[in-house]
Order: sequence, then C-alpha cells, then structure tokens
Amino acid sequence: MKTRTVLAAAATALMLTLTACGGGGSSSGSGEPQAGGDLVIARADETQSLLPTGPFDNASIWTMEEIYDTLLVPTSDGKGVEASLATSWKQSADKLSWTFKLRKGVEFSNGKPLTSADVKFSLEQGMKPDANVSFINQVIKSIATPDDDTVVITTKQPWAPLPADLAMFGNSIVPKDYGGKTAAEFDKKPIGTGPFMLSSWVKGESIKLVKNPHYWQSGKPYLDSVTFTVVADANTRATQVQSGQADVDEFPAYSSLSALDAGNTKVGTFESSRVDYFIMNTKRKPFDDRNVRLAIAQAIDRDALIKTVQFGHGEAAKGYMSPALWAYDDSIEPPAYDLDAAKATLAKSSVPNGFTTTLTVGSGDADEIAAAQLIQASLKKLGITVKLQTLDPSAVSDAKHAGNYDMGFTYQTTDIVDPDEIIRFAGLDNGGSNTLYTFYKDAELEKLADKADTLSDQAARKKIYSQIQEAINEATPYVALYYSPSVYAYSAKVHDFHPYPTGNYNLVDTWVEH
Amino acid sequence: MTAYVVRRLLLLVPVVLGVVTISFFLMHMTPGDPARDFLGDRASQQSVDALRHKWGLDQSLGAQYLHFLRDAATGHLGTSLYFGSPITHLLGVRLPVTLLLMLLGTVLAVLISVPLSVLSTASRRGYAATAVRAFNAVVQGMPTFFIGSMLILFLGLRTRVFPAGGYPEGFPHRLWALVLPAVTVALGIVPLLVRSLNASMVEISRSEFVAFGWAKGLDRARILLHYVVRNSSIAGISILGIQVGALAGGTLVVEQVFALPGMGSMLMTAILNRDYPVVQACTLCFAVLVVLVYLVTDLVYAVLDPRVRPS
Repeated sequence: MKTRTVLAAAATALMLTLTACGGGGSSSGSGEPQAGGDLVIARADETQSLLPTGPFDNASIWTMEEIYDTLLVPTSDGKGVEASLATSWKQSADKLSWTFKLRKGVEFSNGKPLTSADVKFSLEQGMKPDANVSFINQVIKSIATPDDDTVVITTKQPWAPLPADLAMFGNSIVPKDYGGKTAAEFDKKPIGTGPFMLSSWVKGESIKLVKNPHYWQSGKPYLDSVTFTVVADANTRATQVQSGQADVDEFPAYSSLSALDAGNTKVGTFESSRVDYFIMNTKRKPFDDRNVRLAIAQAIDRDALIKTVQFGHGEAAKGYMSPALWAYDDSIEPPAYDLDAAKATLAKSSVPNGFTTTLTVGSGDADEIAAAQLIQASLKKLGITVKLQTLDPSAVSDAKHAGNYDMGFTYQTTDIVDPDEIIRFAGLDNGGSNTLYTFYKDAELEKLADKADTLSDQAARKKIYSQIQEAINEATPYVALYYSPSVYAYSAKVHDFHPYPTGNYNLVDTWVEH
Repeated sequence: MTAYVVRRLLLLVPVVLGVVTISFFLMHMTPGDPARDFLGDRASQQSVDALRHKWGLDQSLGAQYLHFLRDAATGHLGTSLYFGSPITHLLGVRLPVTLLLMLLGTVLAVLISVPLSVLSTASRRGYAATAVRAFNAVVQGMPTFFIGSMLILFLGLRTRVFPAGGYPEGFPHRLWALVLPAVTVALGIVPLLVRSLNASMVEISRSEFVAFGWAKGLDRARILLHYVVRNSSIAGISILGIQVGALAGGTLVVEQVFALPGMGSMLMTAILNRDYPVVQACTLCFAVLVVLVYLVTDLVYAVLDPRVRPS
C-alpha cells in the first residue's frame, strides 16, 4: 500500500514536471521562483554573536543580515544606497542633519510595530565606545524622534557618507531596550524585521533560521528556512555541495573551482570590494627608506601572482580602492613590474647591496604562502634574502597591530558603500589601522580626507580620493596586489543567490528548485 | 586492590594539575588577543581594551591563573569567549560526540587489527603476511586528514553510502555518520597495533605450551585462537591503552575534516581564537580521560594476567 502511494506520488511529480517543461519551456527552472525548501549553507567559521553591535566577523554579519534590516541597504551594484526601513531621507540645508521617514506597517518578528524609538535606541547602541561600529557612528551628535515615523540625525560636521553608514550591519534596527531583554539575552534570542528569524542555534555546529511571518515584503522570502552549518575543511565543504548535502559552499578554494563548476554544481564569481595588499613596516629599517619600498614594489609581478595564487581570478590592482566603489580611478598607475628598474632603485637606497628580512605569513593560508614564495624568489634577484615566518592567524594579527613584523600580507573589504571607510582605514595613519599596519604617516592626507567628507558633490570627493591614492602609490608603504572576486560554489537548484560587492547576501529573493 | 585504585586516583590530581598549568601558561604566552579577534581589525583600541577588561584579561597572569584554579576546583569552568556559552553546556553537547568517536574508533581498530595479525601470524612468510606488512606501511604513511578526505571522496561522494561529513539529527543517523570518522581514527593506530600483536603472537606460538598443544594433536585453528590470540591480547590491551592519548589527539584533525561538533574541533577553534577558558577546559577533560584510561588498562591487564596483580 505504502509503496503504491509513493509510486503514485512519483508518477504525479513526473507528470507535473513534464507538463511544466512542455508548457512553460523553462526546464532549467530559472523562471518563476518556487516557494519553500531549506537552503543549507556550509561555511568555514562559526557565528560568534547575533548582537548587531558586537562582533566583526563575516559569519556573524552575514547571518545577522537575514534577521535584521537597516534603514537603507546597498544597491546591487554597490555604488549607492536604496530604501529599506526608511523610505526617504534628506540632508538639511546647513548639511548638519538628516531626516529619515520610516516605512509604514513594518513589524518585528514578535508582531510589534516598528517606531522611531526603536531606531533611536538601535543607533545609540552603535555610538557606545565598546560597539564594533563606534568608529563609524562617532560622527553622530544626536538623534531626535519628532513622531513615530520620523528620525532626525544630527552630525557633528557635514557628513556625506551618513546614508551609507546607516546601511551597515552594526546599525541594524532592533526593538527598543532589546524588547525588554539584556544585550546578552537578546544575542541568544534576537528579534528583527528581516526576512528570517532565529529558530535554533547549536554553537559550533549549525544555525537554523526560519521564515519571519511578519516580514514586510509580502510573499517573501521564498525559502522556508536557511541552515548555516560549520564545516571547517574546504575539501569537505566542496564534497558536501557535490553530494547534495549542502546547497552553498561559502569559501571554495580557488584550486577546486574547475571541479566544482561541473555537473549539478556551479561556481559563481561576484564583484567584491576585496583588495589584497603586500605591506611593509616603515617603523623598521630599512623600510623607512622609500627607495627600498619602491624597489620591492617594482619587483612584484602582480600578473604572475594572479595566475598562480588566484588561478586567474582577479584583476591587477592600481590604487588601493576597489573598482566596486565609486572612488576607484582607472587612470592611476602603480609602480610597474620591472626588475631592472627595481635594481636601479635599490642601488640608490640605504641598502644598495640588498639585505636580509622576514615575511610573515598565516599558517594554513595556502594562498598567502604561495604568494610569499613567489615574492621571495623575485626579491632574491635584487639581493634581498627573505625568510618566511609562519604564525597562526591570531598571532599574525597581533604582530601587525603591534608593528612587530618586517613584511606581510593583509586584505580589506568595505562594510559600507561609501569610499570613506576604506580611504581612511587603508590610507591614513589615524584611520584605524595605521595605514594598513605600515605606520606610514602623512598629515596632509588626513586633512584631504576630512575635507572630502564635508562635500556633497561626489565628483569633487572623487577627485580628492584619487589624489590620496596617488600619494600612497608614490610613498609606497604597501603594494596593492589585486582585486579579488567573491566566489561561491552552489547547487544548480539554487537560484537568485547574489552577494553584493559589500560581501553580504540577502536571501530574500533566493529560491531552490524542488 | 581498592587501595591501589584509590592511590592511582589520587595521583590523577598532580598529573592533571601539571597538564592544565602548562597549557595555561603556554596559551597565554602565545601572541594573539581574543578581544581583537572577536572585535576585528577595525575596532578601536578603546573597544578592544574595554572587552579585555570585561573578560578579565587585563589582570596579571598570576591573578588569572589563581582565578582559574579556584574556579576549576569548585567545578566552574566559566564561559567561552568565542562561543559566548557556558563551557559546561558546550562540553555536555560535545564530549559525548568525541567519546563515541573514540569508542567506535577503538572497537574498529581491534576488529581490523586482530584478524590481520592472526592472518599474518598464520601465514608467517607467506603472501598474506607480506600483504599485511604492505597494508601497514601504506596506512602508516598516510596522514589522517588525507585518509579522511579520501574516505569522504569515495564513500561519501562517489557511492553516497555515507554522508560527506556532518552530524545529522537522530541517533541511528549519527552513528552512521560516525562510521567513516571512526575508521579514520582507527587506521591511525592500526599499524602499531598489528605490529605489536603480530610480534606477540609469533613469540607465543614458539612457546612450550603451544608446542604441547601441537603434541596433543589439537587442530591449527584451536591453537591459534585459544592459545595464541588469547595470550597475545595482554600485549594488545597495553598498546591500545597507551594509544588512547594518540586517539584523543587524532580527534582534533578527524573532527575538523568530518565537520563533527566534538571536543577536538572545539579545541581547535578555541586555540585558533585564543579562547583561553575553552582550551583549559578541553585540556582538563582530555587529561582526565587519558589518565583514567591508563588506570583501566592496568586493571584489565591485572585481571587478564594473574602474574601482575597490583600490590
């Protein structure tokens, strides 16, 4: 009896499929979204916290973004922002305040309506000194709520990047007073207005999100649930997608891409804001000498690195700004790869006959180690002997922050669509990273960046940002290596999965064929 | 006998204290900052310092150590910096996974090693013995992560008999998901076990009581199983007991490869993220486990061989 029922169901399903093929003609399923299903995303790391103002790791941020909304969201090309919980926003004539009108009829996943008081509370959490976004929100002077649907934010100075700042995960909107919970309790049972809500969380194993029945976009999300599983080993993640155990592999290794782009799995490369850098500690001799740094920059073959390390994925960098952001300037020319010029530059330096130094790399980071070996071989031709020092990631981070290294690697992605964050973080000594841990300082550049933020005209800002990027290339405290795409491997049944250049992927439009 | 067990249990205290003390100072002396790891590169030094204060990491190392000892002695293992959960809760979820994996691994190691050793002993210089030696050499030459990945590739992906890692819901599914990891763990100790069992079996088969068996006209199978295998089990058990430390260490890699939410993968995550309290708790658990297994091994040894009764 049971077998017969199953057979009957299978026959019906087969007929339905055949009818669908005959009628609609879209057997690939890329047409009408289908509702339902669970999307399993295998990722390398554990989600640390779901408190918007807490952590700074991608596994937490990308999970949070399914649970919470922000006032504005990045546009899909990453060049601007568009409406989300706020439907309109306007800067005042004196350029010191911004008025946001909230979307009507939005409810939290507990059924309570969203009001301006929730927004005020949320943004104020990010202004506290121990908040992850305090470096972004420090420009906010005060927040007023004239009525339930209006929020007025006053800034300490005219601040063009504010809309982009408010689209950042750390400024996610939570209920006022965390809905009567402490921050720690809220972290375990978060409430948001996003498409999904937390169903279960087994630390170190998996997080399951289910559809939020109160979500404000009617008919969405299509998925019933999303499950994030922690699978640390890249080979295992790849195998799970191939065997159908997982639908999405968050970080496939470049070396595995051709194998993964076959059969019932595909590989998606999306524009990202990631830029990889080779950094030098200018506090240490001989890297305080610009000629030494320039000689090293001239000895680095970006194209060879892309071919070997990135398996051809990526583009040689020009300035330190990613093409994903509007401040990217194609006309900027970095020091070109030229070994003869590099030898000539080194001959003019404080160490004309070369020297011995170390290059710090992260253990287990195959890409970094491969890049290090290429650079090591190249610098040998200049008479520079490079010893590789392998440290685990936490120790590498410590060494960089403390300036306790000679040469190393780092990379950056932006959290906001405005270039302000990266301009400061990667270009200025006071931008949060001491010019990408090189401790290079140029007070003029700080003045230029401050000036740019007070301007409303994007073209005028872009001109200043190009000037800063040129100045960094000229001083060469570091070498921008390449712009990398973000890469995902996923089952062919997954549709409309598209990460933004800021790295986040909103799963509200994603659906699975079933 | 009871006095012996009590004395051995008391010895557990200095051993475990030594292990956790060494791991405490090693971990804290390793460069790296859990607060910086948690808040990310972009967080201000002020935010990082505030979190360090909240976690008590701004106190002197000595004060932190005394704090840890006092808490551990009263059964308080604290809260994980990385996972944000009470460690006793995390251990409650993860310890059973690892224990089950180690148990299955041990059972499989015995199930693989004993027949191979018997085969090798029975054939002496024949093809079977050569094949077993070759198998041993190949398995010993392969690192655990490679064996694990190959098993996933062939039995998880190609044939789809087993899941490609992960730990599904429901006990039968979980047991099934643990088969490949357990085989991987087992293969890590099989070569050593086979070699020592084989050596012991060869030696025993040359002894007088075996010669007496032959003289009595007993058949070959009876001599092998009842005289040789049974007596060589004493050597096997002591080797197996010593290998439990290696088995526990092996779970670090195996759980990582098979995405199992056990103690090994938690310890790995904790070390990489400088989650000091979790590292301490896991080291404590593994130390107690290994010492207890050694004790049980010695007791079983005494039961099997009346000549070595502890006094």
